Amino acid sequence: MELDRSVKPSLTSEISFNGPACETFTLDNNLDVYFIKKDTLPIVRINIVIAAGSKFELADKKGMSNLLAMCVDEGAGKFNSLELSEQFDLLGTQISIYSNSDTIQISLQSLKENFTKALKLLAMILTEPHFKQKDFEREKRNILTKLKQLKDDPDYIASTSFKFHLFGDQSPYSFPVIGFKNDITRITNKEVISFYNKYILPDNSFIIVVGDTSKNALENNLNKNFSSWSPDNSNIEFHSTEKNDEKVIYIVDKKDSVQTEIRTGHHAAGRNSKDYFAKHLLNTIFGGQFTSRINLNLREKHGYTYGASSNFNYYINNAYFAVSTSVGIENTANSLNEIFKELEMLKDGITEKELEFAKSSIIRKFPLNFETYGQVASNFIGKVIYDLPENYFDTYIDNITAMTIEDVNRAAIDNIFPDLTTTVLVGDKTKITDQLENFQFGDVEVVEKI
Amino acid sequence: MELLNISYEKFKLDNGLEVILHENNNLPLVAVNLWYKVGSAQEVKGKTGLAHLFEHMMFQGSKNIEKEMHFRYVQEAGGTLNGSTNFDRTNYYEKGPSNFLELALWLESDRMGYLLPALNQEKLDNQKDVVYNERLERYDNQPYGLAWELLITNLYDINHPYSWSTIGFADDIKSYSLDDVTHFFKKYYSASNSSLVVAGNIETDKVFSLVKKYFDEIESVQDVTHQIESQKELVQNKYITHEDNVQLERIYLSWLSDNVYSKDDAALDILSDLMAGSKNSRLYKSLVFEKEIAQDVSAFQFSGKYGGHYTIVATAKPGKSLNDLKSEIFKIISEIKNNNVTSKELKRSKTGIKSSFVFSLQNLESLADHLNLYNFYLDEPNSFAYDLNRYNEVKREHISAVAEKYLSKPFVELRIIPKGKKNGT
Repeated sequence: MELDRSVKPSLTSEISFNGPACETFTLDNNLDVYFIKKDTLPIVRINIVIAAGSKFELADKKGMSNLLAMCVDEGAGKFNSLELSEQFDLLGTQISIYSNSDTIQISLQSLKENFTKALKLLAMILTEPHFKQKDFEREKRNILTKLKQLKDDPDYIASTSFKFHLFGDQSPYSFPVIGFKNDITRITNKEVISFYNKYILPDNSFIIVVGDTSKNALENNLNKNFSSWSPDNSNIEFHSTEKNDEKVIYIVDKKDSVQTEIRTGHHAAGRNSKDYFAKHLLNTIFGGQFTSRINLNLREKHGYTYGASSNFNYYINNAYFAVSTSVGIENTANSLNEIFKELEMLKDGITEKELEFAKSSIIRKFPLNFETYGQVASNFIGKVIYDLPENYFDTYIDNITAMTIEDVNRAAIDNIFPDLTTTVLVGDKTKITDQLENFQFGDVEVVEKI
Repeated sequence: MELLNISYEKFKLDNGLEVILHENNNLPLVAVNLWYKVGSAQEVKGKTGLAHLFEHMMFQGSKNIEKEMHFRYVQEAGGTLNGSTNFDRTNYYEKGPSNFLELALWLESDRMGYLLPALNQEKLDNQKDVVYNERLERYDNQPYGLAWELLITNLYDINHPYSWSTIGFADDIKSYSLDDVTHFFKKYYSASNSSLVVAGNIETDKVFSLVKKYFDEIESVQDVTHQIESQKELVQNKYITHEDNVQLERIYLSWLSDNVYSKDDAALDILSDLMAGSKNSRLYKSLVFEKEIAQDVSAFQFSGKYGGHYTIVATAKPGKSLNDLKSEIFKIISEIKNNNVTSKELKRSKTGIKSSFVFSLQNLESLADHLNLYNFYLDEPNSFAYDLNRYNEVKREHISAVAEKYLSKPFVELRIIPKGKKNGT
């Protein structure tokens, strides 16, 4: 029988999939642990999440959290910087320490056979860092040079300028995590040590472990290694002030650039807002996938770009919505015009077909989000950080399924504000400014790089 | 290591399509991975980047699938998808819940057999624009973005196909005609020039019938021969200075080396790790950690079917001279040549490589791609243990020997410096 290729094969029966189970316990020092058993491979992964991100930095100490993350593993316990790194290498263990706006995160991935040894080294970093002056100076010089290098990166300039202008200079979320040159130059090793003492505490942290071990073995192991990490019961306060949204376009001049990096967006409600699922569907339709409206428009219809996307971005105390793309510089204004048109059109509502597509894609993709050890860890980190319901993953599919077209259209009206967008264009201003005059985009300001 | 013994079944359809099936029921997922044995090495001068253009055209719909629907169908079924191009091959892949397998096979087979009926000028013009923007975004508008192209155009002989990058030259991208695309497709995109891996939560027998159902009728091509020039040695050192929108000066040193899976390939990989793979590696420790004359340093062996090269890259700290970096790099190279690699260093590298083999098994897509990769280069999909063993067998003296053999040859030295600096300003 000849095959009829015009008929799309239907899916065989739907897959049923339950997210992995998580066991929780608290160590003797009050540290909360979330353990997800995964034994498909002899791997154990541990992530330590500490509320010590850049948002906690003082006004003239921008870069402190990152500096701490860079210095904390430069020698600890009985090992100096090079020896410590070698110890991890000899175990074949991958470790990374980095800082973002909300947290410092340490992640370690090890073969099961070496996990206990690796954990011992990790505990040394947390509880017995050396903070030698010489190492501090070297890391500081490294960061200052990195900062200089970042001036070359159009994507980085666009994202940091956008956040700076969106949040305003009073918000702790408006600054790049790496910090500012003048601040970094002034920060002393002593101040890094005080930041460490104030924030790197078990009662300010939690641990996620994903891997091939058991709860009992893990609990013993963690208690043994982390017992000297003592709580402080410090009450850390955090305040955030935001600037009001208004429609402005900022041009950051980058001479001779052949493309313009575009970011446009505005503040958004937090991760815990009631219409999260409706917003997630809305964004999937608008800019969350290859076949979303703005990518099809800017890339597949007009050929202005290699890709365009949008996102609701969440912090613990804040959130924003943004569209990102980079376009051939001659199409800067045309692209911006299409983006604004698409944002306006969201008010007219989405179609049933779009909704069905978005739902189907999100629901059926669910099992893929739990494939690697890192993915599992990062999903559970999100759950803890944003204080999501206990049954969040178990009810995820039902929550998406329950959304109606009215819910999503309501979410568009409540959450998308084309008239309140902050826009940043990074490109050669001599090639951009004239183009913008042909459109009624509102105020345009040429600004310095931050 | 038993873990690295990946079971599979391999068949060949009458039309020449190789099919490799691997059952792995850890999660209800399946990965489909299709290699076309065509990369930028099969291109001709004046039409560089054509293989990569297909990575775009193959998503523009085929006879039974409308434009954009390839993406839409896969995503609607909960899958992810993409493709990639290098010198030797182009791959297309989907991963999704295991119930989407038949859909993926339908889509892949339709564009393998019936892309041309759906091809038109409008689609081509649009994707030429997109690729041109991809080039701007990833090469021209990136700091140091043109370095790779500058290196390979100078390192390989002008007639060797590794002398141009997979994205293609800007003028070539603008020049593609429908005829170019049609001709290239007819020659290289067929059942007999490709291999298909299906890995994951599957039943081998059922999948084999499904593959036959969708791919059996697709034609094979008779002639995919393409004359490839053998790698010619550099006669003397080449020195290139290029000005770019960068803050810091960077030096690239590159030597022609050997092909992938050749005798020296693994030793060169380990050499890279010993040179720049960790804080204790020779170059990192000296240039970045102790002397602080470099902000970063990397070293890697690039190797393909028709050639390879070994490259060291270092970025100077502000105010530091590339000459100082260069002389330190050569000093360390000569120490390695003098047979002073320690057993601890070697152990460090081998342990890291072993772990990374196990870590890489986490992702079904990467597993499927490796089955195709080993099948393509070694004619044996289950070569994970063999591959790891290549590294385990490397001895200290091998490292020194390959450093002597390759890093004593003429090289290309590329310096990327801030604009306006060339004339001493």
